[in-house]
Amino acid sequence: MEEYHSGDEVSFSPDDASNVVKECIEGIVGGVDYSQNKVNQWTASIVEHTLTQLVKQGKPFKYIVNCAVMQKSGAGLHTANSCYWDTTTDGSCTVRWENRTMYCVVSVFAVAIAL
Amino acid sequence: MDAGANTYLIRPNYKDKFKAGAVRECVREILREQLYGVQYNPDEVPTLTTSLADSIKNKLRDMGFDRYKLIVQVVVGEQRGEGVKMAARCFWDADTDSYAQEIFMNDSLFCVAAVFGVYYY
Repeated sequence: MEEYHSGDEVSFSPDDASNVVKECIEGIVGGVDYSQNKVNQWTASIVEHTLTQLVKQGKPFKYIVNCAVMQKSGAGLHTANSCYWDTTTDGSCTVRWENRTMYCVVSVFAVAIAL
Repeated sequence: MDAGANTYLIRPNYKDKFKAGAVRECVREILREQLYGVQYNPDEVPTLTTSLADSIKNKLRDMGFDRYKLIVQVVVGEQRGEGVKMAARCFWDADTDSYAQEIFMNDSLFCVAAVFGVYYY
């Protein structure tokens, strides 16, 4: 019989999540150059794959995955986030990745469902 | 009936619900206030993005979305004709949770602010 675990023993692990994210990014845009026609599809694939992998872990979290891809042109890009939540249960991680032609920044936010 | 802190409310009351339209309006105001006429300056942008994210969060917290956890993501970039694409996917309760997004641009920079509201049962 399945048991429902209380929130004490499950917590969000930013390290695990960032490994998942890195794998997804590498798998999708690892060996390609920026292309305007493909970027829609890439960002969608990155967020969807990451989300699927996270959900597969079966932890009691709601997830938000956000991805920004920017073409390299010498221009700057900054991201920041600010959260109003319970820091003991909820967590986030941000992965910054780049290759020759683009930057990719992925943020994952995990919000606990169980108390 | 008073919605005490120790009760489990499965659904938000309508008045407390995360209203994307109102949130967008509020975010737009903050972006306009803080970014109007601002030039992209690499030294100042890190503090600028952080302060934007914080002021959006604080403003929304005061709007009284009771029992909502708020996640604010701000991206500021330099406008140099480069291609940028941002995407988000959420795994959540679509009945209660929602998001709002707003974009600000001037000739030197662009800014995207996304706010996610997640209901806390």
